[in-house]
Amino acid sequence: MRRILHALALGTVLIATAPGLLLAARKAPGALMPATAKPATNRTSAEPSTDATALSKPVASAAVAKPSPDPNAAAVTTVTIERDRPVREKLPTLRFLKANRDFIRARFDHLRQESHVEHAGADAIDPRFVEYRQLLAAIAAGKDSVMRASDARERQGVFTSVEDLARLEHELDEMERLLDAQRTRLGLLQADFAGRQRTELDVLLTGGNILGGRVDSVRVTFEDGTTVSSALNETQRTSIARGGVLEVFRGLVEPRAQVLELALLGEGWSATGHGFVTLEPARDRLTFLKLDLAEARPALGIGSVAATTWLLDTSPQGSQDPSLRSAEATRDRP
Amino acid sequence: MDDRTPRSRNRSVPAGLVFAGLLAASPGAAADAPPFAARTGLELASTAAQSWAPDARLVYVENDEAVDAGGTSTRWGYLFYSPSEDRARVWSVRGGRIAAAENLDMRFDAPPVAAGWLDSGRALAAAEQGGGAAFRQSAHAQLQTMLLMRGAFSEGDPDVTTWTVVYSTPGAPSLFVVVDATNGKVQRTWRG
Repeated sequence: MRRILHALALGTVLIATAPGLLLAARKAPGALMPATAKPATNRTSAEPSTDATALSKPVASAAVAKPSPDPNAAAVTTVTIERDRPVREKLPTLRFLKANRDFIRARFDHLRQESHVEHAGADAIDPRFVEYRQLLAAIAAGKDSVMRASDARERQGVFTSVEDLARLEHELDEMERLLDAQRTRLGLLQADFAGRQRTELDVLLTGGNILGGRVDSVRVTFEDGTTVSSALNETQRTSIARGGVLEVFRGLVEPRAQVLELALLGEGWSATGHGFVTLEPARDRLTFLKLDLAEARPALGIGSVAATTWLLDTSPQGSQDPSLRSAEATRDRP
Repeated sequence: MDDRTPRSRNRSVPAGLVFAGLLAASPGAAADAPPFAARTGLELASTAAQSWAPDARLVYVENDEAVDAGGTSTRWGYLFYSPSEDRARVWSVRGGRIAAAENLDMRFDAPPVAAGWLDSGRALAAAEQGGGAAFRQSAHAQLQTMLLMRGAFSEGDPDVTTWTVVYSTPGAPSLFVVVDATNGKVQRTWRG
């Protein structure tokens, strides 16, 4: 919860020049992005971000090609974009099932479907929810005790003895315990609902050069054939050339080594802007892949696009980096 | 027919069952990976499956590399089926990572396995006691395959999730031992 508020406060240093487009303050990549700032979506339903909700997500724009010396900063790794699809080891799997597919398929087909009338059983209640209620009930009970003591005190009117002062101190202790209990409850709520990060990939586009062709759209194809694409208008092209970052894709991905097929489409790029990147998104982490067009030229092909990847730093140190608070937005590319 | 086990039944031979070449390939690929029980890789495979389809459910588990005496293997395959996608996709886990993933090129809208299925070690121990060990010794057979699924190999109650342990021996029918994956009892055995 604190991270989200902190991130929203930081969002004020970002300048949006177009929907879904961010001009981000120069900052070590991956330093801060609230894990729950945007619900993760499955790839089949994911769309490139083109709404203003992206404003709540500080997006780094620094192009770093080697691990950052800052131990608190997420390590940035340069990845290679290849023209040809990398050849990967093809491991056989489920050999028994495949060898006996007809038999097993036939067994399933012969399973007789029967209707049963059953009482609908309720699902088991998540024990966490019971615990929240118990915590709240305990806090409420404690609050009642404090209220009763307070009423009694008011009835007595004034404190005239040392015993009254001792009683007051006891009440203060009781209040302190209530605050601790509330703090514990909120901590549990935050851990259970605000801290869960699933395996996600965020593909970002930045840079751009007016002399280096014109990118009209970016297409990303995953190994299972799913394709997402993001079109750029003139405003967005100008913005990313000045340091803005366009989110091409954000969604759930499988936590395994995989090859992404990238295609830059547009004047000069359609013939040469096609390549492959091998990535291994870390499980239950947000992985960024940034494509920097600053030095890219159509004549040099897709290999001239600088690609880097890093993980979102969700540690308390990362989210409380003081340098973020002093970051300044600029319209000029650093 | 296996006369050594009291639970044996005279089952018709599933003519389609094939074992040629099973688990014989890629010995070097798994050389460095530690063996693990089937449930160990389930969480990782489930994570991948949820990223593929929110309604993905586990329908089948099989060893992708040889199973040792403790019921562990260096690689297990986890097959999930998504009703919304009407597709099945498998993730093969090795060494705590997903080593392979692919869509199954056949329709496989199998029922989901029961949530609390016994791990491969306990299932294999039950199968060994239920005739597997005796068959290995007498027929010089070896443990070939362990597979978990619901319905297909269960004779009495098709709703039961079962481990099917397959012992093979050259030139003779294999032994199938079906173990109830909820209570560890041997449900039936047959040669085929």
